[in-house]
Amino acid sequence: MGNYLGNIWETITTMLTGMRVTLQHLLSIRRNNVTLQYPEERWPRPERNIGFDHSNYNVIRSRLHVDIDDCIGCLKCERACPVDCIKIETVKVPNRGEDIRSIGHTGITANGTKKAMVVSRFDIDMTECCYCNLCTYPCPEECIYMTGGPNSEKHEIDYEFSEYDRNDLIFRFAKKVSDEEIESATSVSSGEES
Amino acid sequence: MIVDNLIDWFPTSAAWPGLTFIVAVILCAVPVFIFIAVYALVAIYGELKISSFIQDKVGPMGQGVGLHAWRWGLLQPVADALKLILKEDIIPSSADKKLFILAPFIVFIGAFIAFSALPFSQTLIIADMNIGIFYILAVSSLGVIGIILAGWSSNNKWSLYGAMRSAAQIVSYEIPAALSIVVVIMLTSTMSMQGIIQYQSGLVWGFLPNWLLFNNPFTFLAFFIFFISGVAECNRTPFDIPEAESELVAGAFTEYSGMRYAFFFLSEYANMFVVSGVAATAFMGGWQSPIPGMFNTPGWGLFWFISKSMFLIFMMIWFRWTFPRLRVDQLMDVCWKGFIPISLFNIFGVGIWYLLIG
Repeated sequence: MGNYLGNIWETITTMLTGMRVTLQHLLSIRRNNVTLQYPEERWPRPERNIGFDHSNYNVIRSRLHVDIDDCIGCLKCERACPVDCIKIETVKVPNRGEDIRSIGHTGITANGTKKAMVVSRFDIDMTECCYCNLCTYPCPEECIYMTGGPNSEKHEIDYEFSEYDRNDLIFRFAKKVSDEEIESATSVSSGEES
Repeated sequence: MIVDNLIDWFPTSAAWPGLTFIVAVILCAVPVFIFIAVYALVAIYGELKISSFIQDKVGPMGQGVGLHAWRWGLLQPVADALKLILKEDIIPSSADKKLFILAPFIVFIGAFIAFSALPFSQTLIIADMNIGIFYILAVSSLGVIGIILAGWSSNNKWSLYGAMRSAAQIVSYEIPAALSIVVVIMLTSTMSMQGIIQYQSGLVWGFLPNWLLFNNPFTFLAFFIFFISGVAECNRTPFDIPEAESELVAGAFTEYSGMRYAFFFLSEYANMFVVSGVAATAFMGGWQSPIPGMFNTPGWGLFWFISKSMFLIFMMIWFRWTFPRLRVDQLMDVCWKGFIPISLFNIFGVGIWYLLIG
């Protein structure tokens, strides 16, 4: 009988102890919360002392980037890509090496090459990219390259590139002008030439 | 009450008694169904949030797009309900098709018809039967038939195990629950729900409201026995061995999906409300205000009844996220060696108390 009542007493006290613990967690959720609401809040970047300024190096991820003003539209990177994640379309310009202001086309690259093509589309689908870096080697103008890594220079697109929509991971590097504008800008002057 | 008023109010009641009765019953049933659906959404949201808070998480916060994107994830239960409605209705090829389809409705009906005797306020009760509490105890155990049907017709070992456990559990826990209600009936000498509540007006011990919970030590014990047995009858953790995710997949509901599963879910929550409502009525004064003599209009009565029930539902959720599941033999131990002797002792004690003190 004493054992029986003792068991009941132990049951009640241990139950109350457990319920007190959970109630404390329930009430102190603002203090104890461990969930990070990711896109709104982020973990602070880890502090590292590797000999130079913390704000001056790229933290982790690498990503393809194109300096579109230097691109001559030679399609070598598109052919080199093993997963075909680069899509390029080009339109021939009437006068080689001439700027076309209306569509933001620059005639001469940083290396001094005169451009024969307007790059009307330069899309890189980063959901397909396998980070093999094969596209950067054939580029004659060195305009497509991987950003990131602690040893390269700090780049503005750093750290992470998660998006709500998968389509937002297709990066469009070409100047944002419509096909009609490109067509009129290139065909009018070509008519003069002939 | 409402059913009687409606029947009297219809002008044709003398000419078409049967038709009037059916229309009156449907007019009562539709609001109750809407109430259950709305209450279930609130309770599911509460369960999601309370469970997360207890585990130091934040729960649904509306980070997605569309329906989920609302402050604090408030539309999460709506989105869940929509998902369940839109899902494909799968019936296993080797299942007993008729029983498989019938089972969720029987379970739901068992929870649903008990609402007709719950006193929401002084005037808001669908039928104030003179055997109200007995009726609720009787029909709320109907659900076990549905669970056994579900388990048997699924033609699946997990389902059958779950159904057998559920039958054993509900049949066992009916006894202490009913014995605790006997204590209430002995003191109030009525089985009508309104009568039980009217008994609990005024003060006891000088300052406490005259709820049966505070009336004497035996009713205090009886409340806890009834409430814990009620949790067991709802098949909720720590007594959820019929579903027992980690042992039986989902017990009797393993083969169900989509709308049929939603009905099981809905009836679990409806059952929680019935048990809480009966506990609030029988032991916590139902629609009586906790401050005697104030806030006693029918509107406040509805508020008090819903608040008390919701508090008890919060207790159930709190139990669920605190206690680990009992083993089958432990479950039977608690009932047959713990609750039934204590509730028999309670009946004896209340009899003595009634004779000596009144």
